[in-house]
Amino acid sequence: MSGSPAMRDTAEAVLGLLPTQVQYGDVRVVRRTHEQVLVELDGPGEVGYDDSTGLGLRVLIGGQWGFAATHRLDRRGLDAVVAQAVGQARAAGGGGRVSLGSPVTTRDTWCSPMQVDPFTVPLSSKVDLLAATVKEASTAGPLVQQIEASMDFYRDEKVFANTEGALIEQTLTESGGGLMVNAGDGDDLQRRSFPQGVPRQIRGQRGDFASAGYEHVISLGLDREAARIAAEAVALLSAPQCPDEITTLIAGSNQLAMVLHECAGHPMEADRALGTEVSLAGGTYATPERRGTFRWGSDLVSAYADATIPGALGSFGYDDEGVPAQRTQLVKDGIFLGYMSGRESAGALGLESTGQAKADGWQRLPLVRMTNICLEPGDSSLAEMIAGTKRGILVDTNRGFSIDDQRMNFRFGTEVGWEIRDGKVGRLLKNCTYQSVTPQFWASLDALGGPDEWKVHGVPSCNKGEPLQVAHVGHGTVPGRFQNVQVGR
Amino acid sequence: MSIEQSQVERALEILGAGTRLDVLGEQADLLRFAESEVTAQHSERRLRVRVRTTRNGRSVAGSLETLEPAAVQALADRLDAALADLPPGPAATSPAPVDHCAETPQVAAATSVLEAGPGDRHRWFRTVRDGLDSSTTVGGAIRYDVLDRVVADSHGLFRAETLTKAAIQAIAKKGDNSVSVRHMHRDADKVPVDDIPAKLRAALTPLPAREAHHGPCRVLLRPQAVVTLMATYGHFVLGATGYATGRSAVAGQLGEKVVSDLITLVDDGADAAGLPSGFDAEGNVRRHTRLIDRGVLTGVVSDRRRAAVTGGVPTGHAAPDGWRFGGDPSPSNLLLAPGDISDEDLLAECGSGLVVNRLDYLRSLHPKQTLVTGTTRDGTYWADSGELVAWHPQVRFTFRMDDVLNAVLAVGNTRECGDTTFMDSVVVPSLLIDAGPLVLP
Repeated sequence: MSGSPAMRDTAEAVLGLLPTQVQYGDVRVVRRTHEQVLVELDGPGEVGYDDSTGLGLRVLIGGQWGFAATHRLDRRGLDAVVAQAVGQARAAGGGGRVSLGSPVTTRDTWCSPMQVDPFTVPLSSKVDLLAATVKEASTAGPLVQQIEASMDFYRDEKVFANTEGALIEQTLTESGGGLMVNAGDGDDLQRRSFPQGVPRQIRGQRGDFASAGYEHVISLGLDREAARIAAEAVALLSAPQCPDEITTLIAGSNQLAMVLHECAGHPMEADRALGTEVSLAGGTYATPERRGTFRWGSDLVSAYADATIPGALGSFGYDDEGVPAQRTQLVKDGIFLGYMSGRESAGALGLESTGQAKADGWQRLPLVRMTNICLEPGDSSLAEMIAGTKRGILVDTNRGFSIDDQRMNFRFGTEVGWEIRDGKVGRLLKNCTYQSVTPQFWASLDALGGPDEWKVHGVPSCNKGEPLQVAHVGHGTVPGRFQNVQVGR
Repeated sequence: MSIEQSQVERALEILGAGTRLDVLGEQADLLRFAESEVTAQHSERRLRVRVRTTRNGRSVAGSLETLEPAAVQALADRLDAALADLPPGPAATSPAPVDHCAETPQVAAATSVLEAGPGDRHRWFRTVRDGLDSSTTVGGAIRYDVLDRVVADSHGLFRAETLTKAAIQAIAKKGDNSVSVRHMHRDADKVPVDDIPAKLRAALTPLPAREAHHGPCRVLLRPQAVVTLMATYGHFVLGATGYATGRSAVAGQLGEKVVSDLITLVDDGADAAGLPSGFDAEGNVRRHTRLIDRGVLTGVVSDRRRAAVTGGVPTGHAAPDGWRFGGDPSPSNLLLAPGDISDEDLLAECGSGLVVNRLDYLRSLHPKQTLVTGTTRDGTYWADSGELVAWHPQVRFTFRMDDVLNAVLAVGNTRECGDTTFMDSVVVPSLLIDAGPLVLP
């Protein structure tokens, strides 16, 4: 199968096979292609091409869901997938209560913006850029043990159709690249990544991504930044340890993106509030009775989800239930206001969907997922925050984190930090960590960077669900300053 | 979803010399529940064909979801073009060969999983839900998997197996307290579902809540918590790549004491106490690998590229191409030897201390130092004089795993099988940890 006409025909054929007892049904036919290129210290380490096509069918009978997915798109495959989905829904025995809100009847096509199609750029050009990046990084000396520079490109061609009359075709192209350097001296090992870190050394998910073409990878300047990043990795080996103290913490924009992701993004997913993610991820402090009253942070903090930001990794035309992309306020002036939701979770809360049901490919059930979770900028700047801080630390680039199952108590580690003394950036610090509790931490925020420092970070590694699904999301953030934070313990 | 040998051989022919195929026919059926109601049912069928072609020191990979010749040919053309474009890379260093003569270990597929339908999963759900009182709600997931695997290469290797698995996770909540039970087995008939309600009821024992303890204390880690601890330790510490490059905390310490002498750890894909499997993604037979013997490091796990670390023979722990947890070899079937102390005696030995049912979100902060951070979840208690006396608030621990494993005071005599997203199975008993490395903030 290739191209939308055949995919559209398949989607319509599946809906035509549904028995009359089906109250609601939707089908997604998806083709996902992925190209990855990785260059290591000793040469090209990985070149890969993935191509995945299949369909996922969801039916509602007697208020009970059935979902089946298959890579077999011939008639026997379609018959089987319908029988499986319908069989599951019937096995539940009816009696379910599902409200999907307003019907979705849109018929449309949508493409993400792109200047240079990354799948047409020659492999040799990609390898050359990454090899140049590795070469620059290797100039930092013999303590550099490992260098990995990578690019990844994704394309999703999707057709969505439902029994309410919707038929939506979308094509999304995503591009990303990154660099990771490990330096070691036998006793210690330090990592620096650019433009951002990931919790683990996950291939295919490193670096900064955008809903864009090859121009995004070029704009990252991997080769220009490589020597600095590698030099920092080496310098960290002899840097002093982050102190153990309660102090002022300034978080860089990409570090704050991860904190926002864990403290506001996941907890404000409506399905977590309804308990349906308890078996793996857990629940949330953001319970329905707290909407509109719970003080989540200081008056300076407002946060929103926005799937309409052009070029941001979490943007799209329609979600995987056919609901249009939109902006949703999550926190306003420090108060928890709203949820991200899909049709079912919104219905359970008496709301309309905010258009955030997404599935990781054709074979997975749509879940409530983040789109682009953003902070509204403040009126300060990183330079002003530093200048106004007598004693504290500046941290950036996530190295590791953990947060409890209610999304309250967290600990983050960063790849790099600097001490701040009397309004100036001082020594490099290694092994920086900080620990707090979500509402206490955000209530301690006293400054946010302004619009000039607002930047969207593309994070292609958001995990959720069982079976595990990986979502590609964005975070628009600025640097922020927090008072009385426990660091280093 | 059977995989035809003739289709695999035809694909190898199209892809040409130097090719390895790792073919997976995946069938996953789930029932998920929350607040004592069914919330979702999934049925997923997928064929994944992973291709690796290595020629003249150049290596490329691809994947697709069919063995249809036209699609395979399209991928072959793309891989050939990429090989022509690439300079030599790490693949230029010759890895150890796959031992084609080694017999493929046989793992029996269970008809209880192969022939199951949605009704079987509903029966499990009702057994758990109906065994709890009306003031207790339950959430979780029931999952049945059938995995047909073939690893074959252009040198004539062909290994095949069918793996079945049935698993249930049930989290019961009553008031402010929650507890968890997780069971799994290759054979659904051997999953003790009928016992789960009683276990949950017992764990939800009516006890007072106490204030959080601060400072060091003895900590009894029950098997579900130890699963997370040992899987994380094994993944970050016991792979040959980390050992050879110095990134592992135990690099250069083969033959040296690295943890308490109460710890004996092996990786064994044939041990029925875990979830057996016969070979890895490169087709290497999974070998019984002694990792730690009474506290002394005796081995690590390897793949073809790092076989030199393990005497030139891969131990059968190659990561699949494109594995999201990295390309380095990692343990797959860990088994921690049991001790001789009953659960009751372990509790008595704990004295006045913390009892942890589950460690959650345990994440690495510094792999070389084995420094991790995570929280307790679904059953954290305070014990005194051999009895649980109170519910304790959830705790965040930040600790060095090697410190904790050096402070083991006693090992339980009853083991449970668990799994993680990055490890097939982990079979462990309870561990009693001395006061010190696990500090309550």
